[in-house]
Amino acid sequence: MLEIKNLYVEVEEDGNRILNGIDLSVSAGEVHAIMGPNGSGKSTLANVLAGRDGYVITEGTVTYKGEDLLEMEPAERAAKGVFLAFQYPVEIPGVATMQFLRVALNSQRKFRGEPEISMPEFMKLVRDRAETLAISQEMLKRPVNVGFSGGEKKRAEILQMAVLEPALCVLDETDSGLDIDALRIVANGVNGLRSPERAMIVITHYQRLLDYIVPDHVHVLSEGRIVRSGDKTLAEQLEREGYAAYAA
Amino acid sequence: MNVALPRTKAESAYLEAVSAGEAGPQWLKGLRRAGYESFAGAGLPHRRLEDWKWFDLRQIVDRAYPPALRGAAPAGEVDALIARSPFARLARARLVFVNGVFDAARSQLPASGDVEFVRLASDGVPQWLTQAVAADGSDPISALNAAFVSDGGALRIAAGATADAPIELLFVTTAAEPSTLTTRNVIVLEEGACATIIETHLGGAEAYVANSVTEAKLAKGSRLDRIKLEAEGEGGIHLANFHADVGEGATLRDFTLTIGGRAVRQQGFVTVTGEGADVGVSGAYLLNGRQHADTRLVVDHAVPQGTSRELFKCVMDGQARGVFQGKVIVRPGAQKSDGKQSSHALLLSERAEFDAKPELEIYADDVICGHGATSGELDETQLFYLNSRGIPEVEAKSLLIAAFVGEAIDTVDNEAIRDELTRMTGEWLSRRSRA
Repeated sequence: MLEIKNLYVEVEEDGNRILNGIDLSVSAGEVHAIMGPNGSGKSTLANVLAGRDGYVITEGTVTYKGEDLLEMEPAERAAKGVFLAFQYPVEIPGVATMQFLRVALNSQRKFRGEPEISMPEFMKLVRDRAETLAISQEMLKRPVNVGFSGGEKKRAEILQMAVLEPALCVLDETDSGLDIDALRIVANGVNGLRSPERAMIVITHYQRLLDYIVPDHVHVLSEGRIVRSGDKTLAEQLEREGYAAYAA
Repeated sequence: MNVALPRTKAESAYLEAVSAGEAGPQWLKGLRRAGYESFAGAGLPHRRLEDWKWFDLRQIVDRAYPPALRGAAPAGEVDALIARSPFARLARARLVFVNGVFDAARSQLPASGDVEFVRLASDGVPQWLTQAVAADGSDPISALNAAFVSDGGALRIAAGATADAPIELLFVTTAAEPSTLTTRNVIVLEEGACATIIETHLGGAEAYVANSVTEAKLAKGSRLDRIKLEAEGEGGIHLANFHADVGEGATLRDFTLTIGGRAVRQQGFVTVTGEGADVGVSGAYLLNGRQHADTRLVVDHAVPQGTSRELFKCVMDGQARGVFQGKVIVRPGAQKSDGKQSSHALLLSERAEFDAKPELEIYADDVICGHGATSGELDETQLFYLNSRGIPEVEAKSLLIAAFVGEAIDTVDNEAIRDELTRMTGEWLSRRSRA
């Protein structure tokens, strides 16, 4: 589904090189965890996949479902099934969560040449998905992420994911700022979305999240490069030994 | 030192009109004469006067716009303009003024006996009206208005009465040649009365000056919701004053959407004259091209325990220029006054401009007053967030702009009116994204 080859990325503003030749192959149905110390390039990788401005790709390719992902605008990537759960979800005052979800879903459908979702169908979809994530109707009436606690923001990200039903989910430090109960709810939400057609990249600093979302593959990112890959036991080893062994 | 400036063509045209005292409502003769005299003394204000530094009226009124006193206009054009008002379906009564003169045939008078309507160009007007009209020679818009007023609507809401559906005062201008149309409205709310009054200003594409003054008197415990839509034509200059006198425990909610006109100066002078009055003045700008809109607002807490809230959300695209000058005055002894003022600008193009001048003038010690002004572009992080959910650039921008303006529209209490204002914002945005 996703093929990253020899990817080099610099920050546009200062020319600082963050990714130094990433190679990663993700197939449908798989969950990949990317772990690494702060500053290793985890969030840059997530942002580049979603199409955020401010980065220059100096070398390498990213192929998604056979197409050049880097050529696509962010909205096109989303419509084709790429979803980024933000580390810091953005507050949008004045835009109600329900309105936002509906505009997003219908924009994606329009792009794919599908008809708009009917209002009752949409309401039912959101209600069902919100329930699993313990998101109240009251929360849905509020503006996007405004006045949400840290945990609520992360749950709202997973709700968006559940409603938009992407093929490739990139979760950027979804566990940061969550207490254990919130972590469980979020992890259950994510696990509920695991399917043979869907792939996930779970970016995290700590192994804790991976107790709940069990990955098929674990990669260690250091200095913008994947320095080691393994199965879920690698995450446990990192938890015991820390990242010191991978420091430059 | 007072340096006499040469008269502009526009000033000469006004002074030569000498219609003061000769045409128009006879009972306003005194007002007209006083207005003419003070205009003759001061002329059009220019940018060296502090209050006019961002709106050089002397430059803006760039040619002769002789005062017009006629109502005749091509019927088709007038009807097409009237049809543009979004409030047709929700207004119970509609009072239409065409080129400054009341048009009875196109109007629908208030049905309730609790609401009294009188056109200004009448003989033998009731006493409540003669008492309510006040001359204010200190301000050039008021002076010009007094000098050349041709007509206007006066409404009295009887004590304790609630005008349950909005009443619309609709002003339509179709100027065949450059001219000035001058109207004045008077709104009197007796004790405990409630009303929602819409003021709509629409115009054709020609060059004209629309001068409009609205005076409102809110007696004890009354409530006025005033919604103004300024949608003059692209050649129109809109000069307007709103004077409100808010009595004890009375509530004023004033909202203005500024969307039309070439140059627009709107001034609000709100005086808290009764204890415990509650004032809310808000507005939104949707400007593009070379539009220039300037709001000057003075909220004067003359007595204790008044509350005032001002919120302006201004959107400027193209080479448009927006200005907000807001002043809160707390007079000696007006303790426990609570005044907050904020203006926020969203600049959609590099050539758009916004100037803000918030002022506090406080002469009492036990008060809460504050102001805030911001100006910026669309938030890139918010835009990316929307894009990353599949919402394309153009739609994402429209969504954020609508949300920005929506905060001001939300201060309007009446849901149906709010919906129409939101719809107009949406139309403006779709015109923008098509351009």
